[in-house]
Amino acid sequence: MSITVLGVNHRTAPLDVRERFAHTAGEVPQALERVLAAGARGGVLLSTCNRTEFYLAEPDDAVPEAVWALLSERLGAGRSASEYGYVQRDRDAVRHLYRVSAGLDSMILGEPQIQGQVRDAWDVSKPLAGPVLHRLFQSALLVGARVRSETSLATGAASAPSAAVTVAGKIFTQLAGRSALILGAGDIAELAATCLVSEGVRVTLVANRTYERARAIAEELGARALTLDEAWEHFGDCDIVLSSTAAPHAVVTWDRVAAAIGRRGGRPLCILDLAVPRDVEPAVAQLENVFLYDLDDLQAVAAHAAAERRDDIPAAERIVTEEVERFWGWYGGLVVVPVLREFRDRMEAVRAAELERTLRRLPHLSPEDRDQIEYFSQALLNKFLHQPTVALKEAARAGRGYGLLDALKRLFGLERRDGT
Amino acid sequence: MVLTSHFVALGLYALTTVLVLAPFAGLRSAPRSLLLGVPIAGMAAHLLGVAQLTPFMGVAPTLSMLALFLALFQVASEAAFRASAVGVFTGPLATGLIGLALLIGLVPDARPVAGRSPWSILHITVSILGLAMLALAFIAAALYLLQFRELKAKRFGQVFRLFPPLERLDQLNHLSLVVGFPTVTLGVLLGFGVRYAGGVSVDAAQVVWGMLMWLVLGWAVGVRVVRHWAGRRAAFASIASFAAVLLVYLALKLTTPGTQRFL
Repeated sequence: MSITVLGVNHRTAPLDVRERFAHTAGEVPQALERVLAAGARGGVLLSTCNRTEFYLAEPDDAVPEAVWALLSERLGAGRSASEYGYVQRDRDAVRHLYRVSAGLDSMILGEPQIQGQVRDAWDVSKPLAGPVLHRLFQSALLVGARVRSETSLATGAASAPSAAVTVAGKIFTQLAGRSALILGAGDIAELAATCLVSEGVRVTLVANRTYERARAIAEELGARALTLDEAWEHFGDCDIVLSSTAAPHAVVTWDRVAAAIGRRGGRPLCILDLAVPRDVEPAVAQLENVFLYDLDDLQAVAAHAAAERRDDIPAAERIVTEEVERFWGWYGGLVVVPVLREFRDRMEAVRAAELERTLRRLPHLSPEDRDQIEYFSQALLNKFLHQPTVALKEAARAGRGYGLLDALKRLFGLERRDGT
Repeated sequence: MVLTSHFVALGLYALTTVLVLAPFAGLRSAPRSLLLGVPIAGMAAHLLGVAQLTPFMGVAPTLSMLALFLALFQVASEAAFRASAVGVFTGPLATGLIGLALLIGLVPDARPVAGRSPWSILHITVSILGLAMLALAFIAAALYLLQFRELKAKRFGQVFRLFPPLERLDQLNHLSLVVGFPTVTLGVLLGFGVRYAGGVSVDAAQVVWGMLMWLVLGWAVGVRVVRHWAGRRAAFASIASFAAVLLVYLALKLTTPGTQRFL
């Protein structure tokens, strides 16, 4: 009886390896079925861009090999996935999941997306999870929520795109419904635009040096495409400008945008310059009600938030430890009860058989004497079983019952599997 | 009872101030329920005390009422605008004003007061409410300028984190002025009514100060509503207006000693 996690994450495998291990929601059931066929009572597959982890209940000895074989196939070229992987068992596996759910094991400490990814993994794997993992994942989500509400681990922006959202949120009452102009059509611009869109910002215009590329991004975001030269006049009507062109020099200059910004009538304009080298001439920040932030500024916001988050790690770890003990107490009780029941049944059967044999040899006994002997046998059995029963229950409550259970099963030949 | 209520209110306002300022000292922010609950409890106690101060003779009851309205606006700002930072100003102000009122002496005047009709009391209440709104506009403007400076200077410290967004502070300033102006206008009209219809004698200083407040607030509203000033320019206008009202009050208070009924 055990819980095991096998997997790879951003600490153990580079991005190009992790990309190969990533499973879509549609691939999860098939992968799990294959692993469970090697001998496990339940499984959940958590697959994100930063981790691929199999959580397994009661895996047989052959299961780790099945997991690594499955992942190695994706790696190809005869490479073994196990060299990137890790295995954690029992309490450590539970602690690992709780830390993942709380964002303590994330690349960006405390990032909130992981909570949704854990929930999605559980949802997709539910038919194959089994009762123990069902309970484990439910509790993991609660641990994540508890850490986020009782500590500041998830507060503040810890990456440049989310810092862009934070900064814009300090200028505008609400971001929902604000209009944004995107300059440049690279990956960074697209990523930051996605962050803004997730806050309700409407990307209305996408401008790029080449019109075709602008049109491709604009169609994705439901915006209108422009060339860069057409974009300057729109500095007068949008709320946020997000710039990330590949230009080798500043393209947004005072001369190009001052007139348009002058027509804004005191409305603030937030310019987020994510390009290196910078796209926006620093002099533009001198214009009234223009708030200009470059990548260094946003990274400063993110670093500040990350430092504050780090202060809360001990508090978050304390919550995780507390919850691991709570789960382990429940799990220990779950394991011990059926084994104890079977142990008592087995001892009772022995007692009954021996009593019957003894009474057959003593036919002259009166019914009262027979009752006395039966009472004696039962009392003796109860006395013998009392101390092991109490010790096992206490050990289970403290999370130390598995060694004793194994010993009990071996000593008394209890074949039935526990926990079912 | 008057003193007990005021001391309870003083304690709760002081506690509110501590709760509001704690995050600026690096401590954990208080839960929103506390940021709302503590000043509301203080206001309840304060209201009991103020109700027994009518007909508001002297400076102390006026200061007490002003403190009550400031506490009310602090709660309203947090509830409607999530602007607990308003408490950075209103908390110490309300605490200080109520403390000053207690120092001056809050025992109700037992002497019969001629002309202190319900209209007169309404005039005083509405005028002080208008003054409190002008103060709130000033506070929102000051917070706006502080946050503006931090955003322009790219400083991402406590002010950046704990102050509300610029636009929300601008809205709070706008709302305070737009609601405050009709309130002060009503207060001035009631004052004229009390003076001419009620036949109550009014110090010239009171008239000057009341009219000045009305004109200044009218100008601040005018530039916002008619000339569409917003942001930093509107914030400076609000601060200038409030400073003018405050300076003229001090000047009148210093140059016309003995006007015991003037505020």
